[in-house]
Amino acid sequence: MDVVKWERPAPLDLWEAFDGLRGELDRVFDPFKGPDIAGLFDRTTAPAVDVVETEDEYLVLADLPGVDRRDLEVSVTGSLLTIKGDKKEERDSDKKKIFRKEAWIGSFGRTIDLPSQIDAGKIVAELRDGVLTVKIAKREEARTKLIPVAVK
Amino acid sequence: MESNIEKARKRFTVPACSISEESGVVTVRMEMPGVGKQGLEVKVEGNALSVFGERPGPEPRGRYLLRERRAENYQKNFTLDDSIVHDDVDASLVDGILTLKLKVKEAAKPRRIEIT
Repeated sequence: MDVVKWERPAPLDLWEAFDGLRGELDRVFDPFKGPDIAGLFDRTTAPAVDVVETEDEYLVLADLPGVDRRDLEVSVTGSLLTIKGDKKEERDSDKKKIFRKEAWIGSFGRTIDLPSQIDAGKIVAELRDGVLTVKIAKREEARTKLIPVAVK
Repeated sequence: MESNIEKARKRFTVPACSISEESGVVTVRMEMPGVGKQGLEVKVEGNALSVFGERPGPEPRGRYLLRERRAENYQKNFTLDDSIVHDDVDASLVDGILTLKLKVKEAAKPRRIEIT
C-alpha cells in the first residue's frame, strides 16, 4: 500500500451536514434500508439480499462469496424462506503471516418473509460465482393476467 | 466539470481483501460475488497492480422489495513493492473469490547464514 497525503475535506460544506442528517433519518424510518456495507460481519452475519418481484416469480439474490454449495441450505416454511450455511476458510498454518483480513468467516443465516402468493412447490436455487439465486414461482391465481377485451 | 450523474457512473465497490504471506508467496484474496471470468481484468503496469471486476448485467427487472446488494463494479489498486516479482502473478477465480499469488524475489527473501 502506498502512503498518500491526506486531504482535508472541504472546510465548509453545509449541504454535507444536511445530507448526513437526511441519511440518518432515512435509516430510522425505512425498514428496508440495510447497512451500507455488504459484508456479512457488518450485519450480524446475515448476507446482503435483494428481493425482486417480477411478473410471475420472486427472485431472491444473496451475495455468498466463497461458500460451497454443500455448506449451504435453502428451505421454505410457509412463506418464510431461510438461507443458512457456513463459510469456511482453508486452515491457516502457523507460519502464515497475515497482513490484512477483511473477509469474514463463520456461519450465517437469513430468513425472509415472502408474500403469501408464492408456490412453495416451484422453487429453484442456483449458486454461481458466489451469488445465490432463488427463483420462487407465484401461484397461478396471483399472476397478472391479461384479459383481452374485444371492442365492438 | 463532471456532472453528478457521470460521477455516479464511475462509482465502484472496493472488494473485501485479505493478504497473507507464506514461504515466499504473497496471497491476496478478494471477495467479488457475481463476477465471472469474462468480467474480470487483472493488470500489472509498471509497479501498479489493478483489479477490475464487472458485475454481470442486466439486473433483473421488476419491483425491488429489498435491495441491499451493491450494484457497482469492483475495483482495487495496489502498488507492488520492489521485493515482489512483477511479471509472475497467478490469478484464479472460484465462487466469487479472486485469489492472486505473487512471488517474493529471491534477493528479498530472508537468508539464513550458517554458523561455522
